[in-house]
Amino acid sequence: MEVLTVLVPYILRGLSITLEVTAVALGLGLFFGSILAILRVYGGDLLSRVLTLFVTLLRALPHILLLLIIYFIIARVVNLSAFWAGSLSLAIISSAYQSEIIRGAIQSVPGGQMMAARSIGMNRIKAIWHVIIPQAFRYAIPPWSNEAAIVIKDSSLVYVLGVPEILRQAQYYSARTYQPLTAYVTVAAIYFLLTFITNRGLDLLERHIRIPT
Amino acid sequence: MKKLMKVVLMVIVLTVLVSACSPKAPASRWDAIKETGKIVVGTSADYEPWEYKDEDDNFVGIDMEIMREIGKRMGVEVEFQDLGFDALVTAVQEGKVDAAIAAMASTAERRETVDFSVMYYAGDNIMLKASDSDIAFTDPLEAASYKIGTQSGTIMQYWVENNLIDPGLMAKENMSLYERNEQVALDLQAGRIDIAVMDLEPGKQFMSDPAFGFMELWRGVMETEGQSIAIMQGEAALKAELDKHITDMLNEGFMDALFTEYGVE
Repeated sequence: MEVLTVLVPYILRGLSITLEVTAVALGLGLFFGSILAILRVYGGDLLSRVLTLFVTLLRALPHILLLLIIYFIIARVVNLSAFWAGSLSLAIISSAYQSEIIRGAIQSVPGGQMMAARSIGMNRIKAIWHVIIPQAFRYAIPPWSNEAAIVIKDSSLVYVLGVPEILRQAQYYSARTYQPLTAYVTVAAIYFLLTFITNRGLDLLERHIRIPT
Repeated sequence: MKKLMKVVLMVIVLTVLVSACSPKAPASRWDAIKETGKIVVGTSADYEPWEYKDEDDNFVGIDMEIMREIGKRMGVEVEFQDLGFDALVTAVQEGKVDAAIAAMASTAERRETVDFSVMYYAGDNIMLKASDSDIAFTDPLEAASYKIGTQSGTIMQYWVENNLIDPGLMAKENMSLYERNEQVALDLQAGRIDIAVMDLEPGKQFMSDPAFGFMELWRGVMETEGQSIAIMQGEAALKAELDKHITDMLNEGFMDALFTEYGVE
C-alpha cells in the first residue's frame, strides 16, 4: 500500500523530467538526424563521407560513455545546466541513429519519384522537400518507433549528471528507505508503460497516414 | 550547391575548433566564490546518512550539514548539485562545481586529478555475510578464499586489490564491483558473492534490515586516507579556506556532535 501512496508519487516527481529529456532528445535528434540523412544522400561525396564517419563513430560507442564525454566537452565551451547538457547529449547520440533510419527511408523511396518530380519542372530541393521527404517519413515510422523506445530508456542515463528523472528518484527513495527492489520494480513498470504507450501511439499514426496501395 | 556545402562544413569545423581551444578565465576559484557569494558543491545524494534527499527533496545528511556550516563560516551560500558518484571527480576537475563532498576518501588515484581538503572523518569498514552462511574468520586476509563484492572506485575496492589480489592471495575474477551498495547487498542475498565489503554505516543498515539480515564477519579500518572535500587542483586559496574551517569545526566538537546525532561511530 505504501508503494502506491508514497513510492509511486515520489518517483513520478521525476516523470516530467523523463518526458522532457525524451522529447528534447527525440525532437532535436529527429531534426539533426534528418539534416544529416539528407546531406548524406544528396550532399555530395566528400560531405557524405565525413558525415558517415561521424555517424559511425557515434554508433560505435556506449551511450553512457558518449553522454559523459559530450557533457564534459559541452561544459567546457558553454555553461549549460545538467538538464540541457544531458538532453543535448542524448539528442546528438540519437541523431546518429535517426539519420540512419531516415537515410534508409529516403533510399527506399523509388528512384522514379525523383525523376518524375524533376520532369514536371520541380528543382532538386523542391523535389526532395515535397516528394521524397513526405514519403520517406512514412516509411521511417516503424523503425523510428523503435528508436523512440530506446531514447525513452536512454533518458535514464542522465541521472549520472544528476538530473532527477524517474530512475534517480527511485535511487533517492532506495537510499533513504533501503528498499531497492521495490523502488526498481516500480520504476521498471513506469518505463514499460511509457514505452508501450509511445509504440502503440506511433503504430496508430503509421496506420493513419499510410500511403494507400 | 556542393561548394556551398563545403563552406558550411568548414565554418562548422572551425567554430568547434575555435570554441574548444578558447581558454577559460584563470581567476582564482575562491575569488569567484566570494564575488558571487555562492559556492556550488557537487554531491551524490544516494548515501544515507552522509548525503541523501528527504521526502521534500531537500539535501540532508552529515556531509550536507558540514558543508552548510562551512558555507556559513565562509559567509557564502551553499548550492548543492546532485551528480552520479562516478562523475563527481571529473565535475570538480572540469570546474563544473567548486567542490565535491560525498563521503569521498582522498585516495592517491583521485589526488592525481583533484586536490583534497584536510580530512574530516575516517570510518570503519565492515565485511558482511548472508544470514545462512557459515564463513568465519578473524584475519581479514582470509576473505581471499571467497567471492567478494564491493562498490567500485571506493577504498574498499583498493583494499581488496592491494591486500588480496596483488599479493596473489585471491583471483581477480572473484572480486565483483558494483556502482551502488544496494547492488552489492542484492548479490550477497542472491548468493552470487560470499562477502560484501562496505563502509560501516550502510553495512549496519543492511544488518538491521530484516529483508537482508546480513551478519558481521569483520570490522576495521581499511582507509589510510579519510573523507575529505575535493576541489580543483592548484586552488590554494580555496583549500586554505576549507582546511581552516574544517579544522576549527573538528576542534570545537561540531563534527563529533554531528556524527553522534546521525549514529556514526
